[in-house]
Amino acid sequence: MTKGWLRRCGFLLRQTLRPARRQSELDEELQFHLEQSMLANVAAGMTAEEARRQALVEFGGVERAREQCHQQRPGWWIDTVMQDVRYALRGFRRNPVFTITVIATLALGIGATTAVFSVVDRILFRSLPYAHDDRLVSVGLVQSLERQEFTVGGFFFDWRDNQRPFEAFASQEALPHACDLVEANPAQLNCIHAQAGFLPLLGISPVLGRNFLPEEDRPNAPRVALISYGLWLDHYNRDPGVLNRTIDVDGSAARVIGVLPQGFELPTLQAADVMMPMALDEGVERKSSPGHPMRTFARLRPGVSLAQAKAELGPLFLHTRDTLIPAPIRKDFHLSVRSLRDRETKDVQLTAWILLGSVLAVLLIACANVASLMMARGEARERELAVRSALGASRGRLVRQALTEAALLSVAGAAVGMALAEGLLRVFLALAPTGIPFLKRAGLDLRIALFTVVLSLICGAIFGLLPALQTPRAAALAARAVQSRRRTVLRRSLVVGQIAISMVLLAGAALLLRSFKNMEQQRLGMETQGVLTARIALPGFRYDTGQKKMAFYLRAEAALRLLPGIRAVAFTDSVPPGGWNSGERFSDLAAEGKPQPAPGTGGSLVTRGVTPDYFRALNIPMVRGRGFTEADRTGSAYLVVLSRLLAARMFPGEDPVGKRIRRGRDGVWFTVAGVAENVKNGGLTEPDDPEIYFLRRSVQQDWGGRMPVGEVMSGAAPVMIVDALLPAKTVAPWVRAQIAGIDPTVPVEMEPLNQSVSKLADRPRFETALLGFFAFCGLLMAVIGLYGVIAFVAAQRTQEIGVRMALGATRLDVLRLIAGEGVRLILLGGALGLAAALAAAQLLKSLLYNVGPHDPAMYAAATLLLALVALAATLIPARAAMRVEPVAALRYE
Amino acid sequence: MPPSTDLLQGTLDLLILQTLAGGPMHGWGVAQRIQQVSKEVLQIGQGSLYPALHRLEYKGWIEADWGNSENNRRAKFYALTATGRKQLETELQTWERLSAAIALVLGRSVEASA
Repeated sequence: MTKGWLRRCGFLLRQTLRPARRQSELDEELQFHLEQSMLANVAAGMTAEEARRQALVEFGGVERAREQCHQQRPGWWIDTVMQDVRYALRGFRRNPVFTITVIATLALGIGATTAVFSVVDRILFRSLPYAHDDRLVSVGLVQSLERQEFTVGGFFFDWRDNQRPFEAFASQEALPHACDLVEANPAQLNCIHAQAGFLPLLGISPVLGRNFLPEEDRPNAPRVALISYGLWLDHYNRDPGVLNRTIDVDGSAARVIGVLPQGFELPTLQAADVMMPMALDEGVERKSSPGHPMRTFARLRPGVSLAQAKAELGPLFLHTRDTLIPAPIRKDFHLSVRSLRDRETKDVQLTAWILLGSVLAVLLIACANVASLMMARGEARERELAVRSALGASRGRLVRQALTEAALLSVAGAAVGMALAEGLLRVFLALAPTGIPFLKRAGLDLRIALFTVVLSLICGAIFGLLPALQTPRAAALAARAVQSRRRTVLRRSLVVGQIAISMVLLAGAALLLRSFKNMEQQRLGMETQGVLTARIALPGFRYDTGQKKMAFYLRAEAALRLLPGIRAVAFTDSVPPGGWNSGERFSDLAAEGKPQPAPGTGGSLVTRGVTPDYFRALNIPMVRGRGFTEADRTGSAYLVVLSRLLAARMFPGEDPVGKRIRRGRDGVWFTVAGVAENVKNGGLTEPDDPEIYFLRRSVQQDWGGRMPVGEVMSGAAPVMIVDALLPAKTVAPWVRAQIAGIDPTVPVEMEPLNQSVSKLADRPRFETALLGFFAFCGLLMAVIGLYGVIAFVAAQRTQEIGVRMALGATRLDVLRLIAGEGVRLILLGGALGLAAALAAAQLLKSLLYNVGPHDPAMYAAATLLLALVALAATLIPARAAMRVEPVAALRYE
Repeated sequence: MPPSTDLLQGTLDLLILQTLAGGPMHGWGVAQRIQQVSKEVLQIGQGSLYPALHRLEYKGWIEADWGNSENNRRAKFYALTATGRKQLETELQTWERLSAAIALVLGRSVEASA
């Protein structure tokens, strides 16, 4: 067997290395045969002449024998393929512009499509990493302040016991919390609590150990924990002995009962290293209002649709709502049932579809371009094909040659395209590290790469084959350029299509660009330059009282104020303009002597608990009254500052300073100290909400201690704001050092404020950059296509031009004649594209900020750009045609 | 390819192998020998002879070497290899089985028609 293979390889090698020698040996052998035959004939008594003639007759076709011998050899077809390849390469070398254009076009189409698909795959197509992921849903309440489904204790248990559409129903805690792993090698982790039914619902089983038992998910049960694969790897070195080990989480012992699978992610996409049972007290939860907040997920019974599930759950929802939620705010709560995919990626699905759509448009343009180029080449080679056919090349051979060329171009295009895709993916990553979920883990998708390669191969092959498949016309052999009207029509329609598609892309890109500019250039109402935010995560079990927390924060504040170049240090519970803030309802506020607004009216309200320096640090001017002072921090007065918007709404036409405001019906009365200028507080694109600032006083309940009823502060950890004269790069290490000086174990997360503001625009920036890039590529390729057609038409009509000029046409007439061709294509394509763009722009509507989907200026700009570039592409060949010498043109062919 | 050609090709291979079993020979010699032995019934044209020789050579049943012919001309001589010898035996057995079977069928059909 081995020997046989060796011999075959030897043959192949000899043949490939010395085809000439093989050929001559065969010739010699056949020659010998012929001579012997001749000798035999002479011996039989023929004359030399006759013997030779007879021998030749007997022998038959030498060429045929030679070929048949050749075909007995293994791998003889390799020669044919190599021949085709060599021939194709020679053709490419002779026409480098064609070759480079086709390869670049293919590479762009393949590269961009592959890169974009790799990004949107997980968002739109790939199944979620859970069993029966198509039946998993997120169930719960939504209200104006919380758009993601949530449940609270009472709702959860009532629904769990009475629902019918789901076969599994379980919750995780609403938010993971920072927790401390206390051992020889301590670590700060994210812990999440989940019910015993949570992992089975997702179809996840631990890679090591087991899931929670129902009896472990009860209050006062012995504490157990599942750890993430990452923690197991990093912290325990994948030691299987971690099972049943007791670890100390936040100062109390928990037994490790299992390790979660690698790549496990919570359906909320939050990070979690340790999972522990929720251990809710059902009896208490049912009675308490609002009860423990959680995220609830469920698996639909087979055959039950989302709409059915929601309809079935409706009465149950109304019943629970009416029993558990107080009447005034009841109306604000709604039932929501969404597929888990929508829960995870709903807000980026539109972006993903738009990107995918535009990249497919680019691919389409690329394919049209390749088709057009191949057709042009085919036409130019019609004579050559006719000659080859006349010389005996079979149809199959011509087709094979065409296919070989298409395949070579596709392979080259794919190779460059994959490199381009890899590069693009890196650019995407740099553009939008936070804007698009899963982007960080996106890798090149080979399936789609293959798909695009095959697609472009087909594009190229079909149009490359057209000329080869046709019986070469006898006319083609005549030494005249033949007008092939039909194929020019096809090429023209391709160009019109290309122009139309690029018009759509350009219009979309122009709209997004305008919107992005609007977003970037808007006034935030505060100064972000030189401002650094620091989030300090105090481990809850060591800083367990408001007193301890306050002591820490005040020490940090005092230490930082001593640093050089620091203008202001302040604390707040959130930082504008976006991100989390503790929203409330406008109707919760009541002004003294005025009727309280009807519950649930007036929309939402932003509240912030700040120290006096907040306004100075962010340079927010006071329009009336005063801000908070240092003395107020230790004073006994309850003070607030209103935003101008809130002041105007609560006290229209009055001076609010000195007026009193209360939260809820029985809260403390706050006195309005002043009115601050409005600050953007609903993200970059949402309209502003009215805002109220509470003074964060130096009392423990204002720093995360237990909150007396009607009191001010939320339990959220304060964010420190440092306004420095020096660059953040210099200041950040100082801040870190000062905080480490107080407690070296607390993690500090720092970020310049203008950077976090810029991050809010990550996704629009990503969308704009990508669509802009695609529009540019599309335009470029459409223009190349247009140029190709016009140049071809001009060349075809050279003789006609000569005649016209001989008959008195001026050069301007010639220019008009050829450019007119182009202008017609541009007008037709542009008009089609404009109509399509106007229709498609509706899709962009929700992505646009301060610019309508039919903004005339942007459409005008896109049209102008397209027209100018396309005209330029037309004028180049038209000018060349204009310069033709009539005599030369008449003699043309 | 029609099946009869397959049979023919296999037969030609067998004839060549059998002829070469007598000793190395060049292509012309093989054709002449087959013609002689079959009393001029089997005439092998070069159009099938040389492809067959090359095929057998590739299969490793025969090997080729350049030598001098009877009249001192450079010629390519083919010789049976060890594998070729084994192959010849199997082919012979197959052939015998086949021809016996064909004889049986023909004999039976003659009886039936009689």
